[in-house]
Amino acid sequence: MEQEREEEILSAIHHCVKCKLCSIASFHPNAKWLPLCPSGQYYGYQAFYAPGKMEIFRAILEGEITEPSKGLLNSVYACTVCGACYEKCKQITNVELGAPELFEEMRHELASRGWSLDVHKSIAELIKETKNAYGEKYEYKVETTDQNADVIYYIGCTARYRVPEIADAMLEIFDKLGLKYQVMGEEWCCGSVLFRTGQVEAAKELVAHNVEEIRNSGAKTVVFTCPGCMKTFEKDYPDMGVELVHSTQFLTRLGNINLKKEDLKAAYHDPCHLGRDLGIYEEPRVVLSEVADIKTMKREKEQAWCCGSGGGVKSAFDDFALWSATERLKEAKEAGADALVSACPFCKRNLKEAAENEELEVYDVVELVNRCLEG
Amino acid sequence: MTETFSTLVKELQAIVGEKNATDDRAICTSYSRDQHWHFVPAKNPACVVRPGTKEEVRSVLMLANTHKIPVIPYSTGINVRGLTIPVHDGSILLDLSRMNRIVEINPEMKTATVEPGVTFGMLLEQTRKHKLRPAFPDAPLTVSVLVNYYLRGIYQTSATDGHDHTISYEMILPNGETLKTGSRALSEMPYFRYGVGPDFAGMFGAHPGTCGVVTELTAKLYRLYDNRKEYFIGFDDVGTPTEFIYNLMHDELAASIRLVDNQSWLEGIFGTFDYAYDKLPKFVVCVLVEGVDGIFDAKDKLVRKYMHESGGQILELPAEFAQTFEDESLGGAEKSCMVFGLPGKGNYHCIGLYGPLTQAAKYYEVHEKTALEVGIPKDHIHFYIDPIYSFHGQLCYFELDVFYDGSDSGFGEKLRNYNEKQFHRLLELGIYGWFRPYAGIIEPTAERIGYLAEVWKKFLRVLDPNEIMNRGKLF
Ligand SMILES: Cc1cc2nc3c(=O)[nH]c(=O)nc-3n(C[C@H](O)[C@H](O)[C@H](O)COP(=O)(O)OP(=O)(O)OC[C@H]3O[C@@H](n4cnc5c(N)ncnc54)[C@H](O)[C@@H]3O)c2cc1C
Ligand code: SF4
Ligand code: SF4
Repeated sequence: MEQEREEEILSAIHHCVKCKLCSIASFHPNAKWLPLCPSGQYYGYQAFYAPGKMEIFRAILEGEITEPSKGLLNSVYACTVCGACYEKCKQITNVELGAPELFEEMRHELASRGWSLDVHKSIAELIKETKNAYGEKYEYKVETTDQNADVIYYIGCTARYRVPEIADAMLEIFDKLGLKYQVMGEEWCCGSVLFRTGQVEAAKELVAHNVEEIRNSGAKTVVFTCPGCMKTFEKDYPDMGVELVHSTQFLTRLGNINLKKEDLKAAYHDPCHLGRDLGIYEEPRVVLSEVADIKTMKREKEQAWCCGSGGGVKSAFDDFALWSATERLKEAKEAGADALVSACPFCKRNLKEAAENEELEVYDVVELVNRCLEG
Repeated sequence: MTETFSTLVKELQAIVGEKNATDDRAICTSYSRDQHWHFVPAKNPACVVRPGTKEEVRSVLMLANTHKIPVIPYSTGINVRGLTIPVHDGSILLDLSRMNRIVEINPEMKTATVEPGVTFGMLLEQTRKHKLRPAFPDAPLTVSVLVNYYLRGIYQTSATDGHDHTISYEMILPNGETLKTGSRALSEMPYFRYGVGPDFAGMFGAHPGTCGVVTELTAKLYRLYDNRKEYFIGFDDVGTPTEFIYNLMHDELAASIRLVDNQSWLEGIFGTFDYAYDKLPKFVVCVLVEGVDGIFDAKDKLVRKYMHESGGQILELPAEFAQTFEDESLGGAEKSCMVFGLPGKGNYHCIGLYGPLTQAAKYYEVHEKTALEVGIPKDHIHFYIDPIYSFHGQLCYFELDVFYDGSDSGFGEKLRNYNEKQFHRLLELGIYGWFRPYAGIIEPTAERIGYLAEVWKKFLRVLDPNEIMNRGKLF
């Protein structure tokens, strides 16, 4: 790591006063004790909370930690990089610690020393081989409807291979509304999982490919149903001169599309990448309110509880990921919801898996929109 | 890690379960430093143990005592004075945060009994259902209630609550015995502090560390009132408002009274909204009145009378500010204690002390003088006063603060110089006592307390003859 950057990071770490207020949602005015950090809450040791992790990063940079112990890998990688700690910290301290960025940088530093989890290394291998994060060899079948369409839909690995109902719903919405779109001839993984787990070098090839495809498409707008992909394009890709929009932004811009509201009580789960990373809180609520009655959960927006799957956690620490999702389901039920609705394939997958034996339904907002849209 | 030590970790795992004890280097590192690192350098414990029950605590202590291994109890670790940072190699850090049961809230007795991992936030969430609250330190509401009371914190957020909130506790000693204080020793009723024999519950007040592990503590709760009103009065110096403060304290009128310089604390709250707080008078007295209907009205009337006579400037501050002041004074500090974010700074150093209100202007003067002498810029120097009921001896808590950028090691040096001079100067000037003596402050103090220091040391050895417990860098 460059000296200047290292100093910047150490300076941020020194500003942390270890007050641990980042481990709970704002206490006032409702005087409710609501945990905010899934990894600390689940594992308990200080190492799994933001201040403890920062201390470990300090010790790595200052040469005190020279071996990748099990505890090191677990505490660094069993963090969903959800950013909840940072949002809370900056509200109360005004100190710009930039925790998620710091934690990604930490992972990058670890990966550059070869200190990655085997499961994350094997995902990188799969991506190298198949260009998707799940190592699937088949193609999700979808055709461009107009080579000259201004809109290109970037589907993402999870909606293509694990929760295709989201991609299906989005494509049906396009069709029902008579909107022309392109899809990429060869859509490669956006590289999110590689960036989030510190394997930045391995992502370069993917970025180059996707950038070229998008540039060649001539599209002006890239629509995403996956906030993880969108964040990666926004943060880790070069500026392609195109507009990046999330499905819920795209839908709100269309104005009144004659949705038939259902008799459904739905809690909205803010995906971390969409909310805390991209600052998109309102549009998903606007869209959802047109198809269901929204029930508000105690922890929402900047202080939403993470579903538990991000940052490479789902692949490496599934028990923890499912526990975190179960906590969210409980909260939705407490709010009086019949359904928990998200706007991210990764959230949906994890929440749905946790809800297997629950009465609660789990949807992506585009599925409900599609259901309520007359064909 | 030596062979013997890994055997010990296995023995500890046999007590608390495999996943609750570890000597993993990274996990231990996460406990190695707090924000006092310019004074107490980072040091790793050799292992971390997370017991879930009293019996597990007892077994761990007895094992450590047999092998003479240092033990550092850690409840929430937020003490900001390096108190849970190991002194000795090979220490066991006893993380008690899993023990977070509220054992009892007794609205009739106005008490709560808690385990070490219960925080102020957790406790208030439950007590407010009974219109009761604990006494709050101006510490983050993530800190342990038990430790704060056990070591006797400072409770300036509500002057009315006074000073001592501990009623009784039980402590497990290194030899495995349980020491029960107050009425706890005699009966199942832990509700009276002065049971039989000496007042043990007070033994560790104003102490930075311990001789055993407190596993359960019963504390006083206080009423929450619906009627509340806040006032803010500006002054240009520290001396003038002391008469106003005296009047409020003498007539027992206000729940919360705090004199702050306009940059500290106020800005910690104000920082979150747009307001020209730097244009406020140099010092502001914040007052909160509360009470049941008739009494509230009478108190409020008198407070307003004194306020108008005080010679201060009555300030109209934004409602949002007043709300935060109210929430946090009587409901636990979150924004208001987080003054660290003052632009360009980030960290906080303070000398906290008790003394009479009559000395207020002198304490401020010496604070500013010493800080400037060692090269601390004027806008880094902050100060506040909290008077404490029942005001015998005109008792106040004074905090001499410096907000600074912790990543600036040169500033760390300035602060060490500041401490060196200031401890002596304050002792010369005359104080009642330190908030909590800690590393650096105890040495010049112990010299002055005569035979008490000897007795104190001996007392610690009686309870902990092998000296395994964390004394908080004391002696
Ligand atoms: C921003 C900020 C502002 C603060 N302002 C105030 C304030 O205004 N007033 C105030 O009172 N305090 C204040 N504090 C400090 C606060 O007092 C401490 O956090 C708290 O009293 C004790 O810290 P802790 O609960 O985290 O205990 P720890 O850090 O866990 O422990 C503190 C000491 O107690 C010992 N100990 C821990 N658990 C046990 C146990 N179960 N049995 C025996 N010994 C034990 C430890 O070994 C150590 O010596 C502030 C802290 C911060 C971060
Ligand atoms: S990250 Fe911020 S909120 Fe969390 S412990 Fe550090 S200073 Fe406190
Ligand atoms: S990013 Fe999320 S999981 Fe990681 S430390 Fe912060 S709050 Fe916890």
